[in-house]
Amino acid sequence: MKKKKNEEIKEKNIILSIKNASYRYSDAEENDYALKNVSFDFESGKIYAIKGRSGSGKTTLLSLISGLERCSEGEIIFDGKSLNMMNLDKYRNSEIGIVFQSYNLLPFMTASENIILSMDINGLKIKNKKEKAIELMEKVGLKDIYADRKVLRLSGGEQQRVAIARSLSYNPKMIIADEPTGNLDKQTETEILEIFKKLAHEENKCVIIVTHSGNVCDSVDVIYDLKKSVNL
Amino acid sequence: MFILKNAWISIKRNKARNILIGIIILIIACACTITLAIKNTAGYLIDSYKNAYEKEVTISFNRANMMKNFDPSKIEGRENAKEKFDNIESYTISDVTSFADSEYITSYYYTYSIGLNGNNIIKAEINNDGFNHGKENNTDFNLTGYSNLDAMSEFINGTYTMSEITDNAWDIAFDGNYVFINEELANYNDLNLNDKIKLASEDGKTYEFEIIGIFKENEEDNQMTMFSNSANTLVTNANALISITKNNEEIKAIINPTFIVDSYDNVEKLQNEFYEKGLDENFVLQTNEEEANNAVSSIQNINSFSTTFLTLTLIIGGIVLLVINMINIRERKYEIGVLRTIGISKLKLTIQFVLELVIVAVIALMLGAVFGAVSSKNVSNSLLASEIKNSNEKVEEIGKNFGGPNMNRGQMKGKGMPVVEAYDSIDAVVDIKVILELLSIGITLVLISSIASMVSIERFSPLTILKERS
Repeated sequence: MKKKKNEEIKEKNIILSIKNASYRYSDAEENDYALKNVSFDFESGKIYAIKGRSGSGKTTLLSLISGLERCSEGEIIFDGKSLNMMNLDKYRNSEIGIVFQSYNLLPFMTASENIILSMDINGLKIKNKKEKAIELMEKVGLKDIYADRKVLRLSGGEQQRVAIARSLSYNPKMIIADEPTGNLDKQTETEILEIFKKLAHEENKCVIIVTHSGNVCDSVDVIYDLKKSVNL
Repeated sequence: MFILKNAWISIKRNKARNILIGIIILIIACACTITLAIKNTAGYLIDSYKNAYEKEVTISFNRANMMKNFDPSKIEGRENAKEKFDNIESYTISDVTSFADSEYITSYYYTYSIGLNGNNIIKAEINNDGFNHGKENNTDFNLTGYSNLDAMSEFINGTYTMSEITDNAWDIAFDGNYVFINEELANYNDLNLNDKIKLASEDGKTYEFEIIGIFKENEEDNQMTMFSNSANTLVTNANALISITKNNEEIKAIINPTFIVDSYDNVEKLQNEFYEKGLDENFVLQTNEEEANNAVSSIQNINSFSTTFLTLTLIIGGIVLLVINMINIRERKYEIGVLRTIGISKLKLTIQFVLELVIVAVIALMLGAVFGAVSSKNVSNSLLASEIKNSNEKVEEIGKNFGGPNMNRGQMKGKGMPVVEAYDSIDAVVDIKVILELLSIGITLVLISSIASMVSIERFSPLTILKERS
């Protein structure tokens, strides 16, 4: 039965499947779930938006699909394998790239050092990592002159581009972004969304954006509304 | 490799914090080096003193055993005790030789004492109370024969000091009828070096001795007597007296042997062996262990103080480092969150944090060892210098007691004189042992203070950290 389901997932090009996932904080009461019975499928080559009001469990869902937490109940299947069975550190540094609203770059490092660090953690073995970092920066619209600049000297949009470049440094199959344009102006938001679209449509990556921005929702292929899906 | 690179970047980035940690470790390392060097020096001195005191075993009465059934209120009790005492079978020189033939004994020496009367000399006996100061057997003179220099404890401990001596005295002193006499006796009988004196046994046999030295007794003035206790003591060699007693069984001899053993632990076995060889069970063996321990007590105090100081330094240093590390971790929560989010494992992150501390610690430990070595050289050398001075003074004093510079310390080893050699260089004080000890202390401190980072990394949820930051 399980084998049949996995074959179905492969046929549909599903990279990530959330099956009745629930999450309850360790100090919460028995029926106090932050997220309950959520089921979504995500395919490669598509860009998704997960929307919902504050407190709907967006961030919790993000932490589950990015492997920062494990489901209390249910399971998440990535590329045919359950996250419950996977090394989540390896999952985060090889299979997925994470982009945050507040960029989460290391401020004492330069743009290229931040990207190279991610390659190092992945264990990527290439000769010239800096060259590769500059290549990735150019891919997200940053000139090579920014490579040796401390990230604190970059604008918000530039920092977010560096964060996206970092998330791409080991060529993951999926990009998960948490309000990636929340701190950016309209023009930059549009540019960033263009990058995500390219990654999904041209490089066959699955891009999941957690957002409550209407502009973002207008740009994606599929919208999952968390409020509707949560069976409380 | 990237962990090391990251650790180095972090060290350079947090200069002020790492300099503070470095200074604390440097102070700890400095204090530890000085303390360890003092401990080593003290240990060296203790060993030196313990070696200086040869492990001596002597035979003495078992008074407790003798007094066990003694009731002084009853005449029978007193008579029984006297009878018991008279029946104790003393040991002879051949017994002593037999006792000494043991696997536990490395060497031995003895004094051999007999009493003889004056023939051409008069005993010194005029005193205020009219008591006779002649000793055993109520004879005029007490002759004490030493088997060798080591046996001459009165000269070694300074009770007797040689005031006049012939040039070749020590070449002939242990072979033939030669005596050292008390200065008071010499004056009383107008005797000089190289004079010959005649002594006689109770049965009238006479024995001639040549005076090769005159000594005096160093004791506090006794207002009650004109002469010192040793005025009628004649010091000679054991062989001379043994040959007298061999030909005259009427003369009773007292033998006081001293056996040098390889370890105090074997004394009980040795005592049993002596009993098997015929030693009366009213005798027991006694050691000089307490005397040897007393000699090192002051240095042992320094050693204990050093240990306490070292322990306190480590406890306080460890706590300070732990607190600094906890603050450090709080400051770097964001960094931990980012690194964990992008997939670094807890183990690798912990290694990075520990590595940062190890790099700072190793640099600080090396500097601390150098500063500590320079300081400890002075402290240790002054400690050694005073011991060397004491030791040299003691050697000089003993040399004087024996009549001059002819005696050397080599002949006197084993009489409580430590053989202390001066340290000439830093290496001698802060040696490889100290460096290794310091390194292990440093690593222990680093690991203890790293507990904070280990616990924090284990406990922190990356998402929570990043949410807080946002």
